[in-house]
Amino acid sequence: MAATDPLSTAADERRFDAATFDPTSSGPKGARWWREGGWRYLVGLLGVAFALMPAYFVVLASVSPVATLSGAQLVPRAVTLDNYRELFATTPFFTWLWNSIKIAGGAAFANMFLSAMAAYAFARLRFAGRRPGLLTILLVQMFPQLLANVAIFLFLVNISNYFPFMGFGTQLGLFLVYLGGALGTNTWLMKGFFDTVPKELDESALVDGATHGQIFTRIILPLPLPILVVAGLLSFIFLFNEFILASILLGQADANQTLATGLFRFIDQNYGQQWGPFAGGALIGSLPTLLLFLFLQRYIVSGLTAGGVKG
Amino acid sequence: MSNLPGAPVSFADRLADRLGAGSVTGLLLKFLFLGLVNALALYAILTLLPMREWTPLAVVVVATIAIDYVYLSKRTLPLKFLLPGTIALLIFQVYPVLYTAYIGFTNYGTGNVLDEQQAIDRIIADSITVPDDAIRYRSTPLQNDAGDLALLLEDPDGDLFLGTEDGLTLLEEGDIVGEGAARVVLDEFTPITLGDLGDRESEILAFSVPIAGEDVDELDLDLDVEADAISVQTFNTAAVAVQRLEYDEATGQIRDLEDGTVYTAIDGTFTAEDSSTLRPGFRDTIGFDNYRRVLTSPAIRGPFFRVFVWTFAFAILSVVTTFVLGLALALALNDPRMKLRRTTRSLLIVPYALPSFMTALIWQGLLNTSFGPINQILGVDIPWLTSQAFAGALPKFSVLLVNLWLGFGYMFLITTGALQAMPEEVKEAARVDGASGWQILRQITLPLLLVAVGPLLIASFAFNFNNFNTVFLLTGGGPPIQGTLTPAGHTDILISFSYRLAFAGGRGQDFGLAAAISTIIFFLVAIFSYIGFKRTAVLEEIN
Repeated sequence: MAATDPLSTAADERRFDAATFDPTSSGPKGARWWREGGWRYLVGLLGVAFALMPAYFVVLASVSPVATLSGAQLVPRAVTLDNYRELFATTPFFTWLWNSIKIAGGAAFANMFLSAMAAYAFARLRFAGRRPGLLTILLVQMFPQLLANVAIFLFLVNISNYFPFMGFGTQLGLFLVYLGGALGTNTWLMKGFFDTVPKELDESALVDGATHGQIFTRIILPLPLPILVVAGLLSFIFLFNEFILASILLGQADANQTLATGLFRFIDQNYGQQWGPFAGGALIGSLPTLLLFLFLQRYIVSGLTAGGVKG
Repeated sequence: MSNLPGAPVSFADRLADRLGAGSVTGLLLKFLFLGLVNALALYAILTLLPMREWTPLAVVVVATIAIDYVYLSKRTLPLKFLLPGTIALLIFQVYPVLYTAYIGFTNYGTGNVLDEQQAIDRIIADSITVPDDAIRYRSTPLQNDAGDLALLLEDPDGDLFLGTEDGLTLLEEGDIVGEGAARVVLDEFTPITLGDLGDRESEILAFSVPIAGEDVDELDLDLDVEADAISVQTFNTAAVAVQRLEYDEATGQIRDLEDGTVYTAIDGTFTAEDSSTLRPGFRDTIGFDNYRRVLTSPAIRGPFFRVFVWTFAFAILSVVTTFVLGLALALALNDPRMKLRRTTRSLLIVPYALPSFMTALIWQGLLNTSFGPINQILGVDIPWLTSQAFAGALPKFSVLLVNLWLGFGYMFLITTGALQAMPEEVKEAARVDGASGWQILRQITLPLLLVAVGPLLIASFAFNFNNFNTVFLLTGGGPPIQGTLTPAGHTDILISFSYRLAFAGGRGQDFGLAAAISTIIFFLVAIFSYIGFKRTAVLEEIN
């Protein structure tokens, strides 16, 4: 690959050898190292410091022996797990985490499936209303569910009158509300990927007597599986983060909360007293999405172009 | 797949084919699915029917018939794939959006929660009072086999009456058989057992026996006042009560029986000519009143416009700051000769990878005035999130700073991607033509980059326009704007403002106004989405 340095000057055409990058060299050689790319390390270092500074404070607070915010230092004097113990003793932390994983995970999985089904119809079948259907999905996406929070709240309160098990204050109700977002950006995304799967594949299957249901589940779905996984995980992360609907629909019961609403109720107005235990909870609660993301990064970086999986 | 021409075809396969399924397994799965749907529908219908809730009943019936038809017919192939998502979309996205628009035209909120009939019932019930000199009865709650409530009443003279929801009957000797808890009144009613007493407590305490004029004369109750009912006072006492207000179904008005005042329903509240009102009100459509309040009410207009302007400023500045920082880092780190490039990238996107609700809550702690590590280490007392000075300039800055921290990783990611996808030949050619590095950046790299990430910038603007988590979880919308009657803060954006009006007001819940503001946001989002789509020409790519 040719030099991709957009800031290098026209005169700056020399290729580097490894030695020019040696940061230990000094004098005129060091100045040249700096001019020709060494400054990039400083920028990177400052960027990483900015990115990780809050995380550092959180790790620090979670293991520091003082449960309160006061007494924060840059370097801990002692390390303890007391904050974690207090968190687990005073809150149903793992219930919240499990609720989040259960609701967001279940809804993300269901959304992926519903979305993939619709995307298959839009990509492979020709029918009246196909274009308007695609446009409608695009249009509806402009109005995120969180904007309709008042209506969804009153709607679920109303449902409680008939079916209390799926109305206001239930996790099933929240799960169903999340399903409303199934057809959306993801449908478009997947339609795009299905379009790249050669038609000859399913045509030959059709000739062999397969139904569309079989083509969908056995040929189309497995091909862009990595893409489905990525889209599903992004959907999971989105729902894991969802606060507004969860906060108005789950009611007041402590054991009913998701991680977002539970930790909010735990820490809000209580920073002075709860900072240490909260920091511990924040660390554990961040792990699922952080790990997913680091895992996802390979797909994101090495290119969504891999969506054009060969048939 | 055994129905190739000429291949032997079993009965099961033919049946499967006829019903639009490819195999026997497929057929079984389909019937399992349809059986489940129909069983649930049956349960729903059996629940709704006794409640006489016709609208939800109709929705359930129509949806079930639609599902059965679509999955049993051979002519509905596309719908087989589209129906499940579409039903979810209609119920939980399209309907709430339309319902939001409707609520925006109502007075729904604290004081106007009930429907009209419930409100009338409540007003009338509240107007029933027991005069000081009323006759008081010893009372025993009774019930019959059907569960109907009744009262065994004993007046001060020792006369016994049976009071039901239809009226009062004087009891003769012999009408009561047995003693204590084993008594049977008129062969029908028995005393309610202690266990049932608890279960039906509210029902019993709300029970009253109507007494029409003629009964009163016939029964010789010795009433001094014009009485309307005998109402339960405690589990074992009841008293003659007077109803002050009366609802006239013909005119839809409520009349005061004592002084003759007439109350007419205006915008969900029964109001007299001297503008005195009866509480509670009921929910009613009030036209464009909520929108008029947004534009004209001094208590709402001021904060609304501040919030409105800040919403745009917040969204635009968020996009600009995250994009500039993300781009700068991408340009700086996009050099294949650099060591540790991959690691640096992974670390830079950590803020983006953390749950956003968590980071907002974390930053609230970090920026805490008295305990926050940032102030502690700097050795200062800066009120990052609470300063009122200069229209909350400092909290606004803090919100932007936190949003920058949250968002630059994403911008870094997408600009890096776009930079790497950029054809190197163009830059090479410019270099050969003698362009400087700065010229190449300004005139080639940036324009190409903006074409690539433009749609994502618009999407980012739309996202930040409704970035509830950052604002609400960091500052709660605060610090509060002084001197307003609505819960509005200096860092509130429209969505958090609307949320607080509906759910966290402290001054009651105003669903109507909140929905009106949501509807305004809908229109704003629609306008800039339209502009965005026009620019990216996505509409033409549908095929």
